[in-house]
Amino acid sequence: MNQTAMLNRRNFLYGLGASLGSVALTDLLASEQPTGPLAPKAPHHQPRAKAVIMLFMEGGPSHIDTFDPKPKLDQLHLKNFVTENKKLAGMTKGNRFFVRSPYQFKQAGNAGIPMCEHFHHLAETEVADELCVYRGCQAESVNHPAALFHMNTGNSFGGDPAIGSWLTYGLGSENQNLPGYVVMTELAAPQGGSGNWSNGFLPPSFQGTPLRSKGSPLLDLTPPSWKNRAHQRANLDVLHAMNQEHLSEHPHHDQLAARMENYELAFRMQMEVPELVDLRNETPATQSMYGLDDPETESFGRRCLLARKLVEQGVRCVQIFSGGWDSHDFIERAHRKRIRSVDKPIAGLIKDLNARGMLDDTLIVWTGEFGRTPDNTVRGGETAIGRDHNAEAMAMFFAGGGVKKGAVVGGTDELGAKAVDIAHPIRDVHVTLLHLLGLDDNKLTYFHGGRFKQLSQFGGKLIPELLA
Amino acid sequence: MMISSLVAAEPTEGDRLFTLKVLPLLKEKCVGCHGREPDNLQGGLDVTSLEGLLQGGESGEPSIVPGQPEESMLYWAICWDGMEMPPKENDRLSLEETDYFRDWIAAGAPWPNAETLASIQQNEWAVAENGDGIIISTSGGQSKEWTYRRYDPADVWAFQPLEEPTIPVGYEHPIDAFIGEKLRQQAMTSAERAEPETLIRRASFDLLGLPPSPHEIESFVQASKKNPNQAWENLIERFLASPHYGERWAQHWLDVVRYADTSGFSNDWERSNAWRYRDYVIRAFNEDKPYDQFIKEQIAGDELDPDDPEKLIATGFLRMGPWEHTGMSPELVSRQLYLDDVVNSVGQTFLSTAMRCCKCHDHKFDPLPTKDYYRLYAAFATTQPAERSAPFLPEESKSGFDENRQHVETLLRFAKEKQDALYAKREAAARSWYAERGREEEYQPYEIRKKTPGGDKPPRFVGLTTQEEGELKIREQDVRIWTRRLERFEPLVQSVYNGGDLYQKSQTLRLPNLNNPKQRELTNLLPESNIYEGGDVYSLGASVTPGVLSGLHFATFSAETEKAFTLPETMDGRRLALAEWIAHPENPLTTRSIVNRIWAYHFGKGIAGNPNNFGATGKKPTHPQLLDWLAAEFVEQGWSIKNLHRLIMSSHTYQQASTHSERDSIRELDPNNELLAYFEPRRLSAEELRDAMLAISGELNRQIGGLPIKPEMNREVALAPRMLQFSLAPAWQPSRTPQERNRRSIYAYRVRGLPDPMLEVFNKPNADDSCELRDASSVTPQVFSLMNSEIATQRSIAMALRIKQEAMTPREQIIHGYRLCFGKLPTESMVKTLVRHYEQMVTYHQEHSPQPTTYPTMITRSLVEEFSGEPFEYQEMLDIYKDYTPDVQAADVSPEARAMADCCLLMFNANAFLFIY
Repeated sequence: MNQTAMLNRRNFLYGLGASLGSVALTDLLASEQPTGPLAPKAPHHQPRAKAVIMLFMEGGPSHIDTFDPKPKLDQLHLKNFVTENKKLAGMTKGNRFFVRSPYQFKQAGNAGIPMCEHFHHLAETEVADELCVYRGCQAESVNHPAALFHMNTGNSFGGDPAIGSWLTYGLGSENQNLPGYVVMTELAAPQGGSGNWSNGFLPPSFQGTPLRSKGSPLLDLTPPSWKNRAHQRANLDVLHAMNQEHLSEHPHHDQLAARMENYELAFRMQMEVPELVDLRNETPATQSMYGLDDPETESFGRRCLLARKLVEQGVRCVQIFSGGWDSHDFIERAHRKRIRSVDKPIAGLIKDLNARGMLDDTLIVWTGEFGRTPDNTVRGGETAIGRDHNAEAMAMFFAGGGVKKGAVVGGTDELGAKAVDIAHPIRDVHVTLLHLLGLDDNKLTYFHGGRFKQLSQFGGKLIPELLA
Repeated sequence: MMISSLVAAEPTEGDRLFTLKVLPLLKEKCVGCHGREPDNLQGGLDVTSLEGLLQGGESGEPSIVPGQPEESMLYWAICWDGMEMPPKENDRLSLEETDYFRDWIAAGAPWPNAETLASIQQNEWAVAENGDGIIISTSGGQSKEWTYRRYDPADVWAFQPLEEPTIPVGYEHPIDAFIGEKLRQQAMTSAERAEPETLIRRASFDLLGLPPSPHEIESFVQASKKNPNQAWENLIERFLASPHYGERWAQHWLDVVRYADTSGFSNDWERSNAWRYRDYVIRAFNEDKPYDQFIKEQIAGDELDPDDPEKLIATGFLRMGPWEHTGMSPELVSRQLYLDDVVNSVGQTFLSTAMRCCKCHDHKFDPLPTKDYYRLYAAFATTQPAERSAPFLPEESKSGFDENRQHVETLLRFAKEKQDALYAKREAAARSWYAERGREEEYQPYEIRKKTPGGDKPPRFVGLTTQEEGELKIREQDVRIWTRRLERFEPLVQSVYNGGDLYQKSQTLRLPNLNNPKQRELTNLLPESNIYEGGDVYSLGASVTPGVLSGLHFATFSAETEKAFTLPETMDGRRLALAEWIAHPENPLTTRSIVNRIWAYHFGKGIAGNPNNFGATGKKPTHPQLLDWLAAEFVEQGWSIKNLHRLIMSSHTYQQASTHSERDSIRELDPNNELLAYFEPRRLSAEELRDAMLAISGELNRQIGGLPIKPEMNREVALAPRMLQFSLAPAWQPSRTPQERNRRSIYAYRVRGLPDPMLEVFNKPNADDSCELRDASSVTPQVFSLMNSEIATQRSIAMALRIKQEAMTPREQIIHGYRLCFGKLPTESMVKTLVRHYEQMVTYHQEHSPQPTTYPTMITRSLVEEFSGEPFEYQEMLDIYKDYTPDVQAADVSPEARAMADCCLLMFNANAFLFIY
């Protein structure tokens, strides 16, 4: 079989082929080096992390009320001003007033990272000292879907591959029986929907696969209940016979074998995937560490624990969404609730990865699509205590593989309106993220639409201050 | 005065090399980081002077050692040997280019003075064509180097006028002559003609997107025995006359123009009556509307005749891209996004030219200066998107309007009742608030209260729990959604008008209100057009006037030479003039573009391999003469697409088999089958797969056109909550009866934010990017969809019932099903295998009973509310399921039928069904 035919034969999702029949998968894994699109590939340089867990706070968490305290706003609180800057969206023009943070701040860990009072668990010394808070990132769009697309795919119009797609395209995945890039959404899918984890112009094997933490983990993973496993096997055997006869009539048609193999792989996944996502085997102590025993943290905690299991199984990139951070009003209660819902699960994830010796190889990224303004609009004569969208400043933090421990990098102006110190556009964060995974953004390219495309779009700069 | 200063020394070969080759590369590839900002030199290196290069960068070593390229760090770096410069793959120098540097350094690295430079350049630029290529005059680049750069003629093939090739002699059919001649040169031959059973299945899916019936196959096979050519010709004529032809070929066009029923982005509003454009495209194909007319109507139908609804509907083309403008985006940016999208779409769709590449800089490879981008942009500067009124045409289907309106009104009423109950509760609490303070008389309704400044009034959500605050926002948004959805029943059309910028929010786009003085003033203001430096709408560059692609050298109709490539600068008429230029018979991009697309759909690949990109980075045509011949022939035959089908399909090249007696040697000589020695098999597209399953199961309703239908979608996805601005999108409820929903996939409601997972997994493209040709990957989730899903199961049960009705014994039923799916008879051994399997499955199903499916009439939705930061729940009514007619269910049929359905499901999953040969 020549190279093209070989590639065609192997061109199916979740990678590894097995020969037909019912040989145990483990034997095959031992006997055959994976060759599919998700087969592990050598990085460009020595990586600092093998996998990424992206924690995406959808709606735009306020940096001013989480990791970037601005005492100046206490003096300006409720003071009015008017702006007619042409470059602003309708939302942020007109009659405005300043808003102080409703929260107290504390210095967490040995490094004294400023955190708002509602981060109890991230503020524990063993956790806080793992964090690298970054205050210098700048987005471009103040429109949710455009900014979500930008942060997730490098392109604010959508349609380009997501970070996880680029990572699996560049590095493959360690496990050929699972998707290399898994996505777990909040109760509702984010604005822009599946465009946020699209493979774009990359082959479909690199698409983010939504995994449900309850119900059927993958769409239509199992047949209707009245078709049992023996029924499936008997039917697959007859299908195989039909396809075999067809193959003998079309021996030169390369695509036939790949489709046939997919049926066997699917049959195995039906068994293996539900076992993988079953959290009952985790100890009560572990479950509690992620907050599974508390209704406030259960939902995000479950997804964090699943993320750990997936990374443990060799999945390259896991992305978890937390919704509801778009606090134009009532920010005190809304952000407090959102912070509490993710605080313990993220701390649990960091502690658990550390205890298992996985934190050094796993990069955790906490981010939203943009930050929030130090001021708000006067609406109908009323002052709403909340904040609007701000593309010029935001907060994110990193932990694990290759980033500084217990650090605060970059800074915003005294109002928190704009990043001024170690300020970088999103593309530079992307370049840095790929760098940590052993990839060079300028080399991780795909020829499409007449040019070599890359995550940063046209290239970017490494942010050396973030690196350990 | 010394003589030497008057007469410059004759430039050396090294001077010329530097001036014409090395310096432009330094400017293009290096200066950005090593010289443009003297205070911020990367690595401390300055390449803007010889001194800088001799001094080198931070390493302390010189970058070049004159005379010694191998010792020169610059040379290693550009060869990516030890160092990699420029660092980006896109900018990497070719071997030819690194050789210029090598030869220049070897020649002693001369750096001539400005005077010599200028004289070398002037001499060079005076020569239009030399060994380095051709200069193409354009409206002018941002630099002289770009303006006078040279192109390899092979890279700008598409910009050249059509050749008039001689048809190679000795062949019966011109297409076979061009194809055959190339094969002959490689000592290859075409495959035999395919078998009639194969041919009819191929042609039926190709022209109709549907499988042929066993009866049709039988008559064609019989007719072919008598006279194969006549039988084939009759078959093609019959297919071309079928109304389903338009449905199939409109889908191709909709892929290119990115048809969807919603706008995408944060609101994903319905584009009310976008379906009228979809049906216009179907009609255009069915009526064989001349392609030049098709172009003009889509770009400028409103200017051609604003009183003809059909023409207004056609301009829906200008409304197809994902776009919105809300309070969350700056006006100028939104406007730019709209116009960029239109410019790109026009370039890509009609001219197979990627305009996006020259938005920020002169095109790197093609003769497309940034100026031309903004000249084309200016052609649309007066174009404003709007929903306009256009009476429904007699040929437009209004079927289902009444039922649909009832459905919308039911949901609107539900949302309004819930909303009003919350309003009432809030207002009661507000009255109490005043009463408690002894200020009853100060009570004012919410809308007035809200606008009254000052804090001494009830809280905004007085009387409501946090749960109810969230619910109120949802209900209010639902009222907006369902009220707006009533636009469906008005004769609106997605269209455009000409005028100044009003920056209307995309929730409602209408013709300007001329009674409003402000709107009247703005709409009469002629927009100015400038180059946006670096693509930044806030960085105004040189002003431009509307124009066409100047590098094409194909003039507009202005008599004045200096206006040869310009368009009118008036408010009206810009687009019509542009459309006439595009649709001119001598425009070589347009005519090559369309014939290449049609060819590509027939053969699975274009003569030029990227139907959306004829530029230097697209694949070059494999048969350029054939392409030009077809383009000329197409115009000759009145821009008729049906005639082009006839021409292509009457060739042996189209009718040849997908197998070839010398496949092994062909694999070596032509591994990608570029020379077309055999017909390339293809997998069914997502829509063909669904439509064929419905046709075979007997469930397909072949009604044409009208309101979008909603097929059943995987219910987990259909009911999964999806964020919109302020709210959640309403659940996907399928159309109420099988008759309504089991129609062809082209009529399925296309929501940008909610792709149908079953179609998506079979490579239905996303609606945000133009799709030039479908992919056909093979991925595991396809197995889950086609083998496990409720939808596939339902099709298999319906098919089982159909074949049980149409044939007597299980054996006959299986043979009948096999013919329906594969278009041929099974082998005896396969019949035996399937009958045995059927019998075993009967036993299995006698012991395993399915539960009937239940459909929820109300669902509990939950999301994290941004007012409270907490999850909250509310009820959404699923009115359709209250009176739902499901497709035939497993629980309703006998074990024998379920066993037969197992066999049918296997047929739907078989490669013999999925592939066309």
